Amino acid sequence: MRKKMKISIFAGLLVFAVSAVFAQEVVELKMANSNKIVVKLMFRNGSICDPAGKEGLTVATASLISQGAAGELSYSEIQDKLYPWAASYGAGVDKEVSIFTFQVPADFAEDFYPVLRDVMLKPAFSENDFKRIMTNQLNYVEQGIRASSDEEYSKKALEDLLFRGTNYQHMKEGKTASVKAITLEDIKQHYAAFFTRNNVMIGVVGNYSGRFLKRLKKDIAQLSATKPVLPQPGKARTAEGVEVEIIAKEGAFGSAIFTGAPLSITRADDEFAALMIANSWMGEHRKSYSRLYQKIRQARSMNYGDYSYIEWYDRGGSFQLPPAGVPRSSNYFSIWIRPVQIAAQLKKQYAELADITLGHAHFALRMAIREFDLLIKNGLSQEDFEATRTFLRSYTKLYAQNPAAQLGWLMDSRFYNRKNYLKELDGLLEKVTLDEVNKALRKHWQTENMFVTIVTDTSEAEALAKSLRENISSPMSYSNLVKSGLPADILAEDKEVADYKLNIKSVKIIKSADAFQ
Amino acid sequence: MKRKLFTGFLLLFFYSAAFAGEKILPYPMHQHKLGNGLNVVTVPFDSPGLAAFYIVVRVGARNEVEDGVTGFAHFFEHMMFRGTDKYPKEKYSAILKSTGAAANANTTQDRTLYHMTGNAARLDIMFELEADRFRNLHYSEHGFKTEAGAVKGEYTKNYASPYQQIYEKMLNTAFDKHTYKHTTMGFFKDIVDMPNQYDYSRLFFKRFYKPEYCTIVVVGDVTPEKVNKLAQKYFGDWEQGNYVASVPVEPPQNGTRYVHLQNGAIPAYLSMSYKGPAFDDTKIDMPALDVLSSIVFSRTSDLFKKLVFQERKLRFLGGGAGDSHDPNLFTIQASFVDKNDMQYVKDEIVKAVEKVKTAGVDGDVLAKTKSNLKYSYAMSIDNPDRIANSICHYIMLTGDPESLHRLYALYDRVTIDEVKMVANKYFIPEALTIATISEDVEGGVK
Repeated sequence: MRKKMKISIFAGLLVFAVSAVFAQEVVELKMANSNKIVVKLMFRNGSICDPAGKEGLTVATASLISQGAAGELSYSEIQDKLYPWAASYGAGVDKEVSIFTFQVPADFAEDFYPVLRDVMLKPAFSENDFKRIMTNQLNYVEQGIRASSDEEYSKKALEDLLFRGTNYQHMKEGKTASVKAITLEDIKQHYAAFFTRNNVMIGVVGNYSGRFLKRLKKDIAQLSATKPVLPQPGKARTAEGVEVEIIAKEGAFGSAIFTGAPLSITRADDEFAALMIANSWMGEHRKSYSRLYQKIRQARSMNYGDYSYIEWYDRGGSFQLPPAGVPRSSNYFSIWIRPVQIAAQLKKQYAELADITLGHAHFALRMAIREFDLLIKNGLSQEDFEATRTFLRSYTKLYAQNPAAQLGWLMDSRFYNRKNYLKELDGLLEKVTLDEVNKALRKHWQTENMFVTIVTDTSEAEALAKSLRENISSPMSYSNLVKSGLPADILAEDKEVADYKLNIKSVKIIKSADAFQ
Repeated sequence: MKRKLFTGFLLLFFYSAAFAGEKILPYPMHQHKLGNGLNVVTVPFDSPGLAAFYIVVRVGARNEVEDGVTGFAHFFEHMMFRGTDKYPKEKYSAILKSTGAAANANTTQDRTLYHMTGNAARLDIMFELEADRFRNLHYSEHGFKTEAGAVKGEYTKNYASPYQQIYEKMLNTAFDKHTYKHTTMGFFKDIVDMPNQYDYSRLFFKRFYKPEYCTIVVVGDVTPEKVNKLAQKYFGDWEQGNYVASVPVEPPQNGTRYVHLQNGAIPAYLSMSYKGPAFDDTKIDMPALDVLSSIVFSRTSDLFKKLVFQERKLRFLGGGAGDSHDPNLFTIQASFVDKNDMQYVKDEIVKAVEKVKTAGVDGDVLAKTKSNLKYSYAMSIDNPDRIANSICHYIMLTGDPESLHRLYALYDRVTIDEVKMVANKYFIPEALTIATISEDVEGGVK
């Protein structure tokens, strides 16, 4: 007993010494009433660290660590071990961070810990696991992104266009040729070079013991001693006028649209809170009371929803509230117009539309950009400002409702050199004035120079390209059923929108198979 | 060997002891029925200042019994955001925004769920808004026609996925009479025709938006006294209805059915759907099938290890039965590395199930599976939303949230013989529908 005590004191001293040398960054959130423990390890190492020609390497490395053998156990033996505890772990990679998340019932923390340790410190990098993982990653970049969701497709295509020529351009999963080029040796080297004790932040939440945390800190300090050289994150390009890429896909049912332009501020800047109010009013994610939604979906029933963003929003189709774990220092603002109807479908559905040659994409894009122009010109009203600020001060408190989310938001805060972003944000929202909001939106938003990506059916692509390129009038084609009841103000506004001039300078059509290459 | 047996026994003992005598949801569920039959469930939970306010309506695609109106329960969910005389949609939106709540709704085969999560101090206004639209919904015919376009937009975005396309085809093939034949979105021709169904929409509201179809669930920083008082104030004099949809009974299937989607844009895909039971918290069938699905198809199963980890024939394998009000499907899904392995994998799946029919399952694995089911649930309920969602799931199935506890008590009792019994009862070729996706003209799986 005495001997054990000595060792643990020694271990404690060692941790202190290690912490002092490596400045180990730890976020702790003890919850004695919780029945579980969640550990997050955030590495400052995302897809921007992929070497040229090996794009997708960070994802491949994180996948092989989190879905492969470790220590003495094969991956399936690890799964067997965790099964009765319902414990789990996984990895998420974004542009600038990679995060490993481990979750276990507090009852089994001691049994689980060696698994966590071996996964991070002793990944086996087996050939068999490598083959399995790379087959799936290759399939995603070759087929998955093109064939599962046209919305996600157009969103990734927008990033490809915005960041072209930079380390932010490629999908984190990589591209066909680069994924094929990744070797097991590349992964081993990438692990040693970028998953190190010098670029990791430890986060832990729940009902953990002091011993658990002490051991975790000590073991994570055993990661590679390399000091990784992190590349500068690529910045979004400024478009020359409005530059459009249309991705023509066989069998698309509608036109999925994303548009965006660089934004120089992030959560790290206090001004972000002011822009957040303008953005929430214009296009709060999945909310029916924002402007774009009301104009495009509610009044005109053109699609399922329309939103705007001032930072990356991961998997927007799956989440109602923004997920933590995807902090970025390179930023852009964007508009998401969910799929609108194409001519081929409208013709089939309504006899009165038998002669149309173009669906709704041009009109929807005009409408969204016009709304931004109107806001930039007129500013937000005092009433809308107050209502939106009140909403956000309450709504942002919902972002971190469970222990894992609370931990995630705290860790993201550190990325932006903040201590507790959500708390600080509330203070900023409380203080911000209408004047500051209007100044911020005029300073950071413009629509003259934007990138646009549209995933649409091959039957629609040419007509849409021509309409955009030549700035042809694009009147809204309603079915008679809807048209007959539309109020005069909507019809009058439609006329203005149909001829609204966009500063379009180039329109390209790309075959779906050629995207991201 | 001895050591293994002993360890197995210890595990068995530990896992069954872990939750012994405890309810899987460790927070009391307070139920209170108003005079009009509206049930109110309150679960106080340690979430300072936060409450989740849910209303589950036990109407979904299942209740769409008339021709030409499939997808209507879901469409109606959209209409519920179109306002009332007191709170026309602009005013409703403005007040909802002022609450700062995360509010939305969604529809499944068996229910429609409306939810608001936000400041517990604003519960009064949340109740008022919900009661007003549940009782006094009023929209124009034009508003109705316009909203139909948004539903078509939703279908359009979903249809981009070939998996959604085959799912739609598979249901249409597997069922003949029952309304599970169509997806919650409905048949596309009915979606296109929705703007013409204004009168039916009024009838739909009168039929289903009544106290006997609804349950209020509030979880978070609240007391049952406060919630019950608000429920009485806003919903107390809401009149009952009397409509009961006569949902057709699905006749027994008498042979394997096949459906195929020719699409080379995604990896080849196979699903095998067997006719399974309805959810019933008094019968062992569904709990035993849940246990079976975990043992035979989860990532720790022998089959998964063989086909995904060792042979790398599959990218993914999974299987299970969704809980539903009426008998529904037990579906096994597989995503392929090479389409030429489809027949081999199908045969391996059948072999694995046949083995359970005769040899049963390992007792140690059964104990671990029960432990997994319980710990998975226990770890999932860590905020008011998740608890409310879970409770609403059981209300959807039986009307009674206590079904949750009865189900987990049944999991405890599942024996090897019962797993064998359900394997023999449900996994029969006569009740199977095979759906495939590949670049080929035909599926080719026998």
